Amino acid sequence: MTTGLFALDTAIKVVVVLAAMLSGALVVIFAELKIGAHMQHRPGPYYAGGRFGWAQPLADGLKFLQKEDLVPNGADSRVFRAAPYLVVSATLATFVVIPFGPDLVVRDLDLGVFYLLAISSITTLGVLMAGWASANKYSLIGGLRAAAQLIAYELPLLLAAVAVVVQAGTMSLNGIVEAQAETFITVGSFDISVPFLLKGQLIGFAIFMIAAVAELSRIPFDMPIAESELTMGYLTEYSGIRFTMFFLGEYLAIISMAAVAATLYLGGYWAPFIPENLLNAAGPLILGAKVALLVFIIIWIRWTWPRLREDQLQDMAWRWLIPLALANIVIAGIFKVAF
Amino acid sequence: MTSPELMHRSEVAVSVELQTPDMTLNIGPQHPSTHGVLRLVARVDGERIRDVEPVIGYMHRGYEKLAEVRTYAQITALVNRIDWVAGFANEIAFIRAVETLAGIEPTERAQWIRLILSELARISSHLVFMSSYPLELGATTPLFHALRERERVLDLIEGATGGRFHPNFNRVGGVKPAAGGGSTQKKVSSDLPAGFFAGTKLAMDNVLAVCDDIDNLVTGNELIKARTVGVGVIPGDKAIEYGLSGPNLRASGVGFDLRKHEFILPYDEVEFDVAVAEGGDCYDRYVVRLDEIRQSVRIVLQAIDKVPSGPLQAKVPRILKVPQGQAYVRNENPKGEFGYYVISEGGRMPYRLKIRSTSFSNLSILPWILKDQLVPDLVAIMGSLDFVLGDVDR
Amino acid sequence: MPDSPPERATTADDLAEWADGLAERLGASVISTEFATVRIAVARDRWVDTLRAARDDEGLPFFSWLSAIDWAKETAVGEGPAEPEDLVERYEVLCRLSSVRDASGAHFVAEIPKDDAWIDSIVPVWGGAEWHEREAHEMFGIDFRGNPNLTHLYLPDAFEGHPLRKSYPLLSREVKPWPGTVDVEDMPAVEGPSTENPEA
Repeated sequence: MTTGLFALDTAIKVVVVLAAMLSGALVVIFAELKIGAHMQHRPGPYYAGGRFGWAQPLADGLKFLQKEDLVPNGADSRVFRAAPYLVVSATLATFVVIPFGPDLVVRDLDLGVFYLLAISSITTLGVLMAGWASANKYSLIGGLRAAAQLIAYELPLLLAAVAVVVQAGTMSLNGIVEAQAETFITVGSFDISVPFLLKGQLIGFAIFMIAAVAELSRIPFDMPIAESELTMGYLTEYSGIRFTMFFLGEYLAIISMAAVAATLYLGGYWAPFIPENLLNAAGPLILGAKVALLVFIIIWIRWTWPRLREDQLQDMAWRWLIPLALANIVIAGIFKVAF
Repeated sequence: MTSPELMHRSEVAVSVELQTPDMTLNIGPQHPSTHGVLRLVARVDGERIRDVEPVIGYMHRGYEKLAEVRTYAQITALVNRIDWVAGFANEIAFIRAVETLAGIEPTERAQWIRLILSELARISSHLVFMSSYPLELGATTPLFHALRERERVLDLIEGATGGRFHPNFNRVGGVKPAAGGGSTQKKVSSDLPAGFFAGTKLAMDNVLAVCDDIDNLVTGNELIKARTVGVGVIPGDKAIEYGLSGPNLRASGVGFDLRKHEFILPYDEVEFDVAVAEGGDCYDRYVVRLDEIRQSVRIVLQAIDKVPSGPLQAKVPRILKVPQGQAYVRNENPKGEFGYYVISEGGRMPYRLKIRSTSFSNLSILPWILKDQLVPDLVAIMGSLDFVLGDVDR
Repeated sequence: MPDSPPERATTADDLAEWADGLAERLGASVISTEFATVRIAVARDRWVDTLRAARDDEGLPFFSWLSAIDWAKETAVGEGPAEPEDLVERYEVLCRLSSVRDASGAHFVAEIPKDDAWIDSIVPVWGGAEWHEREAHEMFGIDFRGNPNLTHLYLPDAFEGHPLRKSYPLLSREVKPWPGTVDVEDMPAVEGPSTENPEA
């Protein structure tokens, strides 16, 4: 964009996105603490950083940094150490294709959606590595559950996104936003554009959100962690900086999933009545608002509902979500061809 | 390539289930869900439990031996630490047993105050269940609602007795007259604190409100139902065989409540319904306890108006020697039937005290019910039995 | 569930009558019905059959608890029996069965000689008796024949001795004798806090 060198351009974009997303993760961590607390009649963090406790995530991060570096005795040391970095790097790699504005994207790949879903499934590998390498039976059970759950819920996630791709006609995320920005109806002198959510993807959106919460291993799908049964599941033996990596990875993934859902279904960085030349400046804010809404819903669900049992969530994925998602694709295809 | 032996072997390989070795999983004694120091040595095959051996005794304090070297008044102080969630309820049966053997009739006012505090203890215990059971299933929020109201109830108990969990309020012949007794000090007002009854009414309104809150959050929730309906079914005759009592028994269809049959406290003068459910699964045990909170509130509100005035304790000799005899007195504790078998040989201390603790019998059904259950269901079932390790281990 | 009219506790005579009838039908004898506590003596060799008949025919299906009493002339701790000279030293195994329809219940007592301390297990009749018998076994040393798992329940596996026997001492009472009604130690002699600087 600014300099002529492609490598320098990309490097700047990557650094900016990394910095922005990591700060975003901290904000989401703080939001989870505060929102959860207020839903439970508690104040939440109020000490670190003055009245609102905004520095709590920072304080937690510093605390974790200075903890002892523990590797359990019987653990497979290399795999144990590598697992968290795999999870974080795969999650960060998904931000490469997410558009924050028409030009504000690290690289607008033509294979946008395909790349996104493929890269984010590498986190499953990291979770399995963590569960196996910890040399702890609880971690093993957590890893087993994670394997089953994360693989099962990849499919509805994917299939829901495929329906959007069919409707938009392109896999590039920028292209999908532009497809939603196209005029749908002209009423009088107003050109009305409708996001895919309202253009027949209501069920697709629901499937995507459910599958996203399951991919994030959050309540109601947190069997891999299941605090009241498995202590911390595959995370039991992790402490210090490695735990921070997993922790950050989870919250980065929340932002990532919410951003993808906003882009695919809610119109991404586009909003009505914003002139084209301002979209680059207003885009991040608009996308941020949509992401904030979805993140709030994800947090809300986490604090309200209990968790599903492993066989129940497998049931839900294989017998309900996948057939529905397939039907959704068929209907989207019919509408695309017929109209 | 399609020789008969080859085809047969591949057919056989497909039809035989994949045999995986069992894993021995040690759950506890330190574990988020075992309600204390309970150890379960579970043999699991993947997620399915083949069998479970509970190992208890981590909290065994030897109450029955200790009771042989303490006077009856001293035992009262010990005894409310058995089921520490509902401290007051543990004392009732014991003190009634001593009063029966000694032939001392407690005063009317004391009996009614004991009834009110017993029901407050029941509400407190069931609110702990309301908070911890959804938490074990993953719902984190009902905990705060339930415990918030429980604080009000505990404040009431503390105001009257001086202790939130270990009231030590019962005395032979009544309840403890408030501070100011003794030969050197003048007796100041030897009664309940001012505003106790008004405070109780207020707290009962709050408890009913939180019951409705929990109803909305938990009872109709599809996920809770999916986790608890049909899980851990205990048929009525098995419950009787294992000595299950209290809400566990009533959720299995056996509508037996000691408060309707034995009147060691004036329960025959208050109106209330016995909560019964037919299914015997975890959901029924939860619903029965929620109903019991409401019934307890009903009892307390009636009892407040019926408390007569009078002395708090009957005249009792300072050094109490209980005549020779054996008596068994049982009470409907929040967790079930709690009884004391006191053998007195005419001294200041009992010759033998056998404590029939509820959770000991409630827990003994665990090996039977956990066969072939899933690991998450283990947590759901254990939580629904609502036991406390102090009660199990004495 | 409709409220049945509250049953008044049966009078002492009614209780005695009921207990007599029960004991006669079971082929046992009543020890006492004082203090609303019915105690029925059962011979050791008829233990399981009597209890099974009580469950099936007499309407006492609820297994409440099972434990034992050690009758000894001398005790290592606590007060002894009222009349030690008249006492026959023995163990008594008590089992309480009660009804789930009303407040009736009875304690079945079997006497066991101390040098031949065994009795048949009732686990085939009530599964819940297993833990109770294990506890009585480890606390008193009584052998319950037929109990599928007669190992320690409360005590560590390596524990030796039977704590609830009257001959078993309480270690803390060996060190310090039982203090009496009031357990108060005198305040240590204190001169009062020094107000001077120690260095000065």
